[in-house]
Parts: sequence; structure tokens; C-alpha cells
Amino acid sequence: MEDDQLLLKAIIKKLQTEKIDVVAAASVNEAVSKLTQGKKPDAIWLDYYLGDKSGIDFMHILKKNSNWSDIPVVVVSNSASEVKKREMFELGVNYYLLKSENKIEQIIETIRKAVSNDIAN
Amino acid sequence: MDKIDIRDSLSKLVFDNQGLFIMAEPSINSRSQVSSGPNMRVKFYAGVAIENSQRVQLCLWIQDTKLRKFTQRDLTILKDLANWIGYVFSTSTKITSRDAQKLIGVQKELSVKNRQLAEANARRKAMLENIGDGVVGINDKGEIIYINLAICNLTGWSHEELIGKPFLHTFILETEDGKEVDVVNRPIRNAMYNNQKVESNKYYLRRKNGSRFAVSVTATPVSLFEQIIGGVTVTRDITREREIDKMKTEFISLASHQLRTPLSSMKWFSEMLLDGDAGQISDEQKDIVESIYVSNERMIQLVNTLLNISRIESGRIIIDPKPTDLGKLVKEVVDGLKNRVEEKKQVVNFHIPEPLPTINIDPELIRHVYMNLLTNALKYSGEGGKIDIQITKSGNEIISKIHDNGMGIPADEQDKVFSKFFRGKNVVKVETDGSGLGLYLVYTIVQSSGGKIWFESEEGKGTEFTFVLPLAGTKPKQGEVRVS
Repeated sequence: MEDDQLLLKAIIKKLQTEKIDVVAAASVNEAVSKLTQGKKPDAIWLDYYLGDKSGIDFMHILKKNSNWSDIPVVVVSNSASEVKKREMFELGVNYYLLKSENKIEQIIETIRKAVSNDIAN
Repeated sequence: MDKIDIRDSLSKLVFDNQGLFIMAEPSINSRSQVSSGPNMRVKFYAGVAIENSQRVQLCLWIQDTKLRKFTQRDLTILKDLANWIGYVFSTSTKITSRDAQKLIGVQKELSVKNRQLAEANARRKAMLENIGDGVVGINDKGEIIYINLAICNLTGWSHEELIGKPFLHTFILETEDGKEVDVVNRPIRNAMYNNQKVESNKYYLRRKNGSRFAVSVTATPVSLFEQIIGGVTVTRDITREREIDKMKTEFISLASHQLRTPLSSMKWFSEMLLDGDAGQISDEQKDIVESIYVSNERMIQLVNTLLNISRIESGRIIIDPKPTDLGKLVKEVVDGLKNRVEEKKQVVNFHIPEPLPTINIDPELIRHVYMNLLTNALKYSGEGGKIDIQITKSGNEIISKIHDNGMGIPADEQDKVFSKFFRGKNVVKVETDGSGLGLYLVYTIVQSSGGKIWFESEEGKGTEFTFVLPLAGTKPKQGEVRVS
């Protein structure tokens, strides 16, 4: 989930190169509808700013739904605010990464880690 | 009294008669009556000249319209009086008419000065009355003895409702969450107790009607002849400032996101090209894309530094002290810089006599300091350069020194080194990469940690930066973000 079109493009392309199936969403509403209609994802790449709703709002929605609440979430944002970070972790996200500090490969590695941890549990 | 010409007065006779003239019954030394007289109403007269050093013709006389006795004893008294007057006249400052004029002049001046003083006082009072900040003066018993108009307007109390009342019980301060601030934390109490100015901008002041507003308070003790006789508080409504601060915080958040998004985009797309995700690229293409990538990374670092500075300046940085071994910390930093060190075949030496006590400082912040100083040392030293790191304990401080034998800082620029955006003339020519913000951030971090930083440098010879941190450590500070 990423609201910036260019970034979304980069993410989709990279994930596809890594042979990972991608379902893209640029807003919370779009994400929710795709989750409802489609297959349950193995992990969620979540941005903070997503149009008029935020990643926090999305997490609330995610955790309320028993089908979705166990999906590992990796937040990839550009905001370094401790307050936001804490809130996210309190809502159960697994990792919080800064876009501008991480190579896209590193992010994918973290996602893989999140997925394998999940499987292990 | 009409002016009497001395020629017509009896006193003249005193001077005509060797300083003494008496007209009495029975008289001693009385010459014949004045035949023609200026004033025939005078039946008795005794006058004696007053000798004086000023050579002024002075005469002391007594007269009456009735004839009187005048004894030898009376004469002696008169002469004594005359001597005394003569003595006083001679020894005191010349009271000439010119002096009298001067005295009158001085008096006039005094009254003008008094009026000016009164005006100045009135003006001062008017100014105090009219400044926007609330001013309250209290005596040594804590009773309110002075208030200005502003404090009445700010709080809703009238003049009469405040004068004479106990300050601490009338003006109530509360914390953010509504709890009343107790006496030991009240600024004016501490100002008077410790005899020093106390400033606070984290409390709220309760109005007469119970509502509250954010205030900045400056409390100062008032002393006279080394006794604390009271205190003064100046209170300012900072509601607007708090709003602006919030807006700044929001702006920083927004700017952070807006600036970083396109930078992240460029970073990832460049990476993908370099990783061959869009097909194999030639060496030349690789070279170009790498340059794009490196430039972009620089931009990302600049944005980070700018944001850190913004955060520090708006007081948002968290200070999270933990017991830290500075020796270990600096070794970690050097480890991370290994590649750069090897690249220019530079050498880093450690001089850390064991054992270093751990101190309570925020390791992330101080890591930043070492990182910056070391990066500079490496950057501005040439091939084969030697960097020496020394950390020692001295008294109640830990001193860290970072020494290089690089290009140094020109003497005429040394006073600007810690200012924002400063880069030395000699450095810009050689190495264009550098925002000039690193040392400003380092300076701010060291200051916020309760330490001090300085340096010595000679152009062409090298530089040594020294910073000290108190063994007592840094106080934790609640903030919102970490330095990144």
C-alpha cells in the first residue's frame, strides 16, 4: 500500500522481479476492497500517508477483522516520528522501516523475514 | 524694608569710631549723641564692628526706641557675639551675593531635576502599566505589593482583589494534565530561595473564572543590601506560540514526507537499474546510474540533517540516557567507517586508558557526534592520514579528543566553524560534498547533553576537536523524534 504513484510503480516492479505476487493499493479503501475480494496476502507492505486515511486507520480496520488480524505487516514510511512508530507497534505491526534509509532489497528481505516468522508461528 | 544708605545709618558711626559706638544710659564709652540723626526715634544703640577676613564691613548692633542701660557685661556679650559671627563668616564659604545667586540657581535646578525625576518615574510607571506581559511584585512575606494592568487583564482579577494577597495562593499554576503545581516547583519560590532567575514555559495559569492558558514565567529575586526583600514575576500568555510550535511540528512532519518521497523513488529506481532488474547495463551506463544514486544519497542525507536540526531547534528531540561506554561506542563508529579508512589508506589510533566509567548519555546522539567528527577527520585528511582518538576521565568529566593531521581550518574562519551552513574556504575547493550542517548539529547535541565542545586547528597541519561530557550524565528529555 503506497499512495505515491511512482513509488508504487517501483515497488510493484521490484516485487515482480523477485517473483513475489503483488496486489497494489493506493488508498485504504482500495486496500480494503482488494482484501475483501481477493486471496489473503502473506504480508502487507504498509505506508503511513495513504490519501485521506492513514496507515493507523488501516491497522485498526485490519485488526478488527479476525481473518486479517494475523497477517504480518511491514510499515514502510518516511516519517520518523517516535509517536507514530509507537502507535504502529502498539497496533501490532511487525516492522517499521524508513523508505529513504533502506534499499528496496533490504525491505523485501525484511518482508520475507516477516513471512517466514509468521509461518514458523 | 527700605534700603538705608549707610551714610545715614548709625552703623556708619560704628565704623567711624574704631568699631564701637554706643548710645545708652548710663553709657560707657558713649560719645556724644548724634546731633543730626538719621533716625531720631532711636534712643538706644549699641553697635560693634565684626572683624572678618573677607574685609566686608559687617556690623552687629542692637537698638531701641527707649533709652536703656548697657553694661560692661552686655558689651562683652555683644563683642563675643561679634567675634563669633566674624569667625563663622570668615571660615565658611564666601557667601557673597554671587554665591547667593548660585544657591538660588542650584535650588532652581534641583526643583527642575525633581520634576524630571517625577516625570521619569511617571513614565516608567506608565510603561510598566502598559506592557503586554503581566508584572507582579511581591515582598519577602510573599504578599503581592505591585501589579500592573496586564496581569489583571490576563487573569480577570481587579487591582483590589490582588494587592496584599498571598501570591502563591492567589495565582495557581497547573501542569499540562491539570494538576496544581506545588510550592517547591513554583518559579518565584525557587528564584527567591536560590537567589537566581528562574524561567518556565511549561505551565498553565488559572484565571479568576477557572479557565487556564499556557504561560511563560520569568521570576527574579529582588535584593537590597544583599538581603532578599521580595521578587518579581513576569508572565506572558504563550498560547499563540504553542500553536505556532504545533504548526511547525506538523510542517516538519509534512516536509519530511514530501521531500523524502521523490528521493526514495529515485533511490529505488536507480537501485533497480544497478541490480539489472531492467536488463543488463553496460559499464558506462552503470557509471552514470551510480552517479545518480550517489547524488541522491547525498540529498537524502541533507534532508535528514535539515530535519534533525529543525527538530532540535523546536525541542522535539528525545534524549534517552542509558549507561554507555564511550570507548565501545567510538570503536563501533570507527568499525562502521572501515571502508572509508581503508580507501584512503588512513590509520585510526585509539588512546583509551582502561577503564572508562559508563556514563548516562544518549548513545544515539553521541554516536552522531563521533560519527560526524570522525567523518570530517577522514574527509579532510589526505592519503595515509593519521587519526588519533583519545578518551579520558578527568575530574567529573569524560574528555574525548579527535585529532587529525589534515588540512586544518583557516584562522580567520575558526569562529564560524559551529555555525549553520559554514564550510571552510580551503575545504570547498577540495571536497565539494558537505552541507556545513554537521558541526552545527554536533554542537547542539553536545550542548543539550550538558557538555562543551571546542577545537584547535592550524591550516595545513591538522585539527583537534575536544568535547567533554559530565560524568553525572544527561537528564532525560521527553521529545517526539530521534536524531536519524
